[in-house]
Amino acid sequence: MVELEKIEYKPVSIRDLLVEMKNISELMIDLAYSAALFHSRELAEDVIELERHIDTLAYRLNMNVMLAARDIEEAEALLGVSAVSSAADKISDAAADIANIVLRKIGIHPIVREAFKRVEEQLIRVRVKPGSPLSGKTLAELELASKIGVDVIAIRRGERWIINPKGKDLIKPDDVLIARGTLNGVKELKKLAEEGSEAGG
Amino acid sequence: MTQERFRQIIDDLVKLKDTSELMLDLAYSSILLNSRELAEEVQALEEYMDNLHTRFELHVLSSGFKPEESKNFLGLIRLGVVTEEIADAAAELAEVVLRELEPHPVLKLVIKEAEETVTSAQVSESSPVNGKTLREAGIPDKTGMWILVIKRGKSWIRPRPDVTLKAGDVLIASGYADGEEDFKRLISGEEDI
Repeated sequence: MVELEKIEYKPVSIRDLLVEMKNISELMIDLAYSAALFHSRELAEDVIELERHIDTLAYRLNMNVMLAARDIEEAEALLGVSAVSSAADKISDAAADIANIVLRKIGIHPIVREAFKRVEEQLIRVRVKPGSPLSGKTLAELELASKIGVDVIAIRRGERWIINPKGKDLIKPDDVLIARGTLNGVKELKKLAEEGSEAGG
Repeated sequence: MTQERFRQIIDDLVKLKDTSELMLDLAYSSILLNSRELAEEVQALEEYMDNLHTRFELHVLSSGFKPEESKNFLGLIRLGVVTEEIADAAAELAEVVLRELEPHPVLKLVIKEAEETVTSAQVSESSPVNGKTLREAGIPDKTGMWILVIKRGKSWIRPRPDVTLKAGDVLIASGYADGEEDFKRLISGEEDI
């Protein structure tokens, strides 16, 4: 039996909770697809853990929503907030369903990999070679989203995973990056990651 | 499995995944812009998804797989279900707008502040994308923002690669928040990137 977090009221802003729920639920979908495509149990396990975290956030949000409505107008306006929270919750459940395909060893048909070559948002896994122009830089310095249209969603360093890395996070040689972006963008990322120092800019 | 069946299943899965994510972005856009048209577009896509999903499942089930392949095919069916779940979540979001709930101000802030955001910008006369096709403009590669839909006057245009952008077009886009500024600069033509 999994240990579930105790639900306690915390006075957190609805806005912060909802931003976190939206961010995590969308990240989870891409992490879960990545777990399926790259056969990673670790990523799948992270998705399951994030799903429970989303549940906790949803409870907390609900309590804060209940307390926030002081009259009929506010109650009506806050329904939209509940709808977004419930949608984020559903999305996280969908991601967990993908993760369970991996964890229960159900199997990913080769068709899936073929299909994912053609979807709009591409997912890629790439190892950073020592001497790559990416190595030794923070994500903020690299500005991959605005420069090549790519977003790093996870970094594997040895046994450790950094999920949803932030701008201050550093890319080190031999890191494995999981990233999402345009087809050209992920190709460019692969080129940069696998480039030696001679060729790098 | 025949080549033809194989190709159909791949086509359907690609469409299911892309459409489910487009719906989610459009749904958030509909809340952000309080736009009935966008919300209705989400509802229309939901119906399209239902049909597509049924077709996908029928194609998978009738592909004549061997017993030892059944696990892989179960995985395929489940992935289809997931895209449907995402589409349902999007339809729920769009309902907020369609039921004329006045979206709480906090919702707009949340959509703007999230890591994957939706935004809009108007093509100016001097914009480098004015007069270019979407393919030529290469907006996703330059900014990390995808065009969801183009609003030209009162009509909404699907962002096919051969659509030519015109001054006055409003582009609604989603992507990683870091690219939003670059996107607005590129489209409004305030400064070349």
